[in-house]
Amino acid sequence: MDHRALAQIERDTLATMAGTSWRYWLGLGASVALVAVGGWAWSQALRSGLGVLGLNEPVMWGCLITTFVFFIGVSHSGTLVSAILYFTRSPLRAAIGRSAEAMTVITIMTAGLYPIIHIGRSWLFFFVLAYPNQRQLWPNFRSPLTWDVFAITSYVTVSALFLYMGMLPDLALLSRRVTGWRRPLYRALSLGFSGTDAEWAIFEKAYPIFAGVVIPLAVSVHSVVSWDFAMSVMPGWHSAIFAPYFVAGAIFSGVAMAILLLSGLRRGYGLQAYIKPAHFDLLAKLLLAMSLVMTFTYLTEFFMAAYHGTEAEAEVFRWRATGHYAWVFWLVIFCNSVAPLALFWGRVRASMPALVAVSVLVAVGMWFERFMFIVTTLAHHYLPQAWGNYTPTWTEVLICLGGFGWFFMLFLLFIKIFPSMSVAETMERLHHEAAHPGPAQVGAPEASHG
Amino acid sequence: MAEPLVATFADPDAAARALTALQEAQVRGVRVVSPAPFPAVHLTGRPGAWRLLGKVALLGGLTGLAGGAALQAVTSESLGLVVGGKPILAWPAFGVIMFELTMLFAGASTFAALVIMSALARRRVAAAARRRMDSEHLVVVVPAAELDGPRGAAVRRALAGAGTEVRP
Repeated sequence: MDHRALAQIERDTLATMAGTSWRYWLGLGASVALVAVGGWAWSQALRSGLGVLGLNEPVMWGCLITTFVFFIGVSHSGTLVSAILYFTRSPLRAAIGRSAEAMTVITIMTAGLYPIIHIGRSWLFFFVLAYPNQRQLWPNFRSPLTWDVFAITSYVTVSALFLYMGMLPDLALLSRRVTGWRRPLYRALSLGFSGTDAEWAIFEKAYPIFAGVVIPLAVSVHSVVSWDFAMSVMPGWHSAIFAPYFVAGAIFSGVAMAILLLSGLRRGYGLQAYIKPAHFDLLAKLLLAMSLVMTFTYLTEFFMAAYHGTEAEAEVFRWRATGHYAWVFWLVIFCNSVAPLALFWGRVRASMPALVAVSVLVAVGMWFERFMFIVTTLAHHYLPQAWGNYTPTWTEVLICLGGFGWFFMLFLLFIKIFPSMSVAETMERLHHEAAHPGPAQVGAPEASHG
Repeated sequence: MAEPLVATFADPDAAARALTALQEAQVRGVRVVSPAPFPAVHLTGRPGAWRLLGKVALLGGLTGLAGGAALQAVTSESLGLVVGGKPILAWPAFGVIMFELTMLFAGASTFAALVIMSALARRRVAAAARRRMDSEHLVVVVPAAELDGPRGAAVRRALAGAGTEVRP
């Protein structure tokens, strides 16, 4: 591998920053439009109050909290998967690590909006923060909702630092490559990193420490989000399985979103030489494995509800599958348990359109799964006279769509400003593979598809 | 003041060969500047205080743990409000935030240490040599003290043999 190969790798991995196609502008324009529509809908809720939403007794948590839990789930797998791939020395990491980490930070930033919107008087959200105040009040540290605030702020901080730390070598290279006002900007952002052996020694020591911090933190965050529900005594929520069930669901939805983002990057920027079919094959197998775990948890929940003899619990689960929201339940089963079974076939895993279709179904299925367990429990809990259904208003739907626009807008801006693949790591990985060719390396050159 | 010798390599393997040759010639204080963590960066004995990072992370984590415990205990005592029948000092419930702050402080202190230690470490390599590194070139720096007499000739032979562009 000589300087020409290294320069080519740099050019290719920075392709997302160099060119701006009409597809990019179309995607960005659509995202900004969604944000504008969502923002307008939120302004309606701010002006008129939460009455414009479909929330009412007994269903006080609806689409907004569903979207919050969904995005937290998506955020979960990015940094977690990246950190696990780092420890397993997987060649997959060089290809997907950066995008996955960026996805984590952006999705938490998106998820965090929804509880703030949901409280109605959004400008008072800081009441949940722990700081000395004139009211002489402190948050209730025994409440899972307060745990959530600490867990999510810790996770977003550490994930952002993890992402930023990984970008330092690339930002240093960029500062040497760009001209004009961007040069001092990237130089400042690189924090002076210059690639000396001592800096690499520090970097290589810090990275596993950070990855080691991120993994338990990621697991804890989604466990804590699950305890928002499981710490209550509501039927369908009060279950010890909730934390692992949420973690599995989070990885499941996160992998699906990662496949969608990477397939778009790969096709849009001609990164077929770096994001390879073998990478998607591994992601598809992970998606399939998580689908089987999710199916197992669905069955376990139903079995426990039917067998342990608590009437309210059994009724909630019976109603989920046969009641007002049965269509949601069966949609979830189809998207999360049935459709991913197609990934048992190698031809489906090798076909980008098929893999993208399954990933879209999983993303849809996971959003509705969050909706299902939140709404069906609230709508149909202990007292029959308190039962009531929930239908989201257009305002809620538009606020939720605005969140998706916000997510895609930030991601598209990220890949335009920062490298979407690790330049240094890709160089090192390809150099290693050139020096140690193996018969079945995931990163080995091969024919591309899609 | 004598200048160090700066050798530029277009091939990471050539830089690694040069460093191995310099090691065999018992040349000391050689440094390398690289755009990526190629094997060459591991051939200079991993200089610097990187071993301290683990201790910094541990110290940061313990600070977060203690801070999380203190925050919850002191504020709960000062507010004195019983919620949900739980004791004022509900340590099992406090465990979650203590854990989160442990991880937050461990991560943040590791990052701060990385920034500070890297800034101190890079000063030991001449800025002119660092500037020559880019995505296509690695730089090997041999201190001026190693360039006198027959040792200097051995250094130049080792570098030239590995295929370098030697600059004074």
